[in-house]
Amino acid sequence: MEQTLRTGNVTAPTISPVTIWRKRLFGTVRDSVLTLILMAVIIAFVRVAVDWLFLDAVTPWRDRAACAAATGACWPFLVEKHRLILFGTYPWEHQWRPLVASLLLIAGVVVSMVPRWQDKRLAWLWICLAVGFTVLMRGGVPGLEYVQPERWNGLPVLLMLAIFGLVFAFPLGIALALARHQDQLPAIRAIAVLWIELVRGVPMIMVLFLGLFVLPLMMPDDITLNPLITTMIALVIFHSAYFAESVRGGLQTVPCGQYEAADSQGLTWLQKTRLIILPQALKIAMPGILNTVLGAYKDTSLVVIIGIHDIMATAKMSFSDPVWQRYGLEAYLFVGAWFLATCWCLSSYSRWLERRTS
Amino acid sequence: MRLPRSQFFWQLLVVGILVWLGYVLASNIEANLAKSNIVLSFDFLSGQAGFDISESLLPVSSTSSYGSVILAGVLNTLTLAFCCIIGATVIGVLMGILRTSGHYLGERVAGFYIEITRNLPKLLILLALYLAMVTALPVVRESWSFFGLVQISNRAVYFPVIEQGIGLYWVIAMLVIWPAALLILGRVAHRIQERTGIRYPVVWPVSIFILAMIAVPATTGLIEYPLSWPVLRGFDFAGGGRISVQFLVLVLALSIYHGGQVAELVRGAIQSVPIGQFEAARASGLSFAQMTRLVILPQAVRAAVPSMGNQYLNITKNTSIALAVGYSDLVSVMTTSINQTFRPIELMTVSMGVYLGICLIVSWLVNIYNARVQMVRA
Repeated sequence: MEQTLRTGNVTAPTISPVTIWRKRLFGTVRDSVLTLILMAVIIAFVRVAVDWLFLDAVTPWRDRAACAAATGACWPFLVEKHRLILFGTYPWEHQWRPLVASLLLIAGVVVSMVPRWQDKRLAWLWICLAVGFTVLMRGGVPGLEYVQPERWNGLPVLLMLAIFGLVFAFPLGIALALARHQDQLPAIRAIAVLWIELVRGVPMIMVLFLGLFVLPLMMPDDITLNPLITTMIALVIFHSAYFAESVRGGLQTVPCGQYEAADSQGLTWLQKTRLIILPQALKIAMPGILNTVLGAYKDTSLVVIIGIHDIMATAKMSFSDPVWQRYGLEAYLFVGAWFLATCWCLSSYSRWLERRTS
Repeated sequence: MRLPRSQFFWQLLVVGILVWLGYVLASNIEANLAKSNIVLSFDFLSGQAGFDISESLLPVSSTSSYGSVILAGVLNTLTLAFCCIIGATVIGVLMGILRTSGHYLGERVAGFYIEITRNLPKLLILLALYLAMVTALPVVRESWSFFGLVQISNRAVYFPVIEQGIGLYWVIAMLVIWPAALLILGRVAHRIQERTGIRYPVVWPVSIFILAMIAVPATTGLIEYPLSWPVLRGFDFAGGGRISVQFLVLVLALSIYHGGQVAELVRGAIQSVPIGQFEAARASGLSFAQMTRLVILPQAVRAAVPSMGNQYLNITKNTSIALAVGYSDLVSVMTTSINQTFRPIELMTVSMGVYLGICLIVSWLVNIYNARVQMVRA
């Protein structure tokens, strides 16, 4: 005993991986029962998924006829229909245009996400993007054939409604939040409260129907609104109320001293808000704002219900063809993968930003 | 009170612009409606609707008035919201507890579930689930039968119900008394325990009593419960009760979707309970179930109530996606009526009023509950 101690032969006991895993999964009776139940669920789930996705599926390069006998996924369906799902009925030979337009918007979002570039230049960037997007999609200028808005379908419509809806709603939301936060102008405050509470009290579908049915009635005779525009206006009205509430959360955390300090410097209200209050409030409200953005992006898919052909509607279109009728789940899987990927990027970004600022 | 004059000016300017805008828009509406010879009025609500809704708690047919059809839509929305709230809460609380259980697999399974539901639109979950169910379930004529009691087809689930009459009213009355009795006697028992320390059981005695009240009259022949069975006739079942696949899919999809968000709330609430409480509970020799039920959840509820109330409001509003699978909720009835009567202004006003009313009532109830569970600071 003494011998081993003196020669320093005492090491930490090595625990084998088997012991670690046994302790993790079967440490107590409760853990063991839970492990067995979860294992059964996981194995059943994985088996069904693997069977459907790979083992019983038809490989993408085989032809359609092979799908009839298979019980799993029909990958040739996606090979055949992916362009229809992405761009819908946009003229087939011009489909490079929605592709480039979508890529432009995605690139714009990526650029706007870099904190170093978040300043006045972004406003110019988005004006250019809006013009570029419209020119590419609509055409009608030399070299580009005109394509009527009814044939804009799929991914570009989703991106356009989601991104421009949010881009316009954001400043409006900040203005609403500022109007609600102050107490010097009670009439303006009342209007902001009414707007926010009314919009947040009804479902998004109701606001979309408002855009569909009531907005055209409000226009004078000679103006007819394109459904895409009315939908965009409805989305802006809807999202601005939610942005306002996230921003207000940030505004409330800015200490009183900051307002007083700004006042004592003799800054005007506009200077005070722009230079002192908003930068602090927005920084604090960022996680909430990004949550709103994520929700708004997902909810943009609801526009299908009022007959706008975004990516969900083109997915439905792709399997309404009698020959391909059985492969709806493949189409929805494709759309689901797109949403999973983009939403995952957004939420990772939000987590990264939170870590960075705290 | 600095700069009163400029404040007055700005407010006057904004209000003036809004009034002017409102006037222009309203006069445009009037001009547009006048062109199609429509005057704003709610008289059409008593007119015959002429369309049927698929399922409702009210006896509605195609000869009913618009008013009663809309009321049936409101009831459908409320039923749907109620079922989805229960479903989402059950799934969410289970997953939230699993997420914080410290069990290796459990935490990961719950995390996977939350991540998936967070990153998919609810409409996609709904449509995919609907498609899967309609293709996986058999057609009506070959419906799956479970011991002849329940029939499941890709249109609806059919089951026997008690025929309308004294028996049904008796059962409904007992089912209403049950929770009320539990609540009142539970409170009495609680008070007795606080005073004397003696703990009387409540749940089992009351439940057995209620069941006996339903069962005993039947054996003596005092009250009869004639059953109506679903019978296959032609292309559909007649008689019995039915729940449509649309309703089931909606409840399932919205429960799954909101379950993920509820789980995140529950996780946040559980993590807000100080770690010392867990240690103290373990040191007292409580089992995991006891610790969760008696120590952790009562404290977590306090942190979760306000955001849970918000979540319930969201669920209620999100039932409006029912339109996508053709379930007759308020929005669906509203759009059909708008298409038939072209009275968007009146119908949208009514529906928005209903939603705002529901919101007000729910947040009022949540505030009452919140005031009860919050810590009282002396």
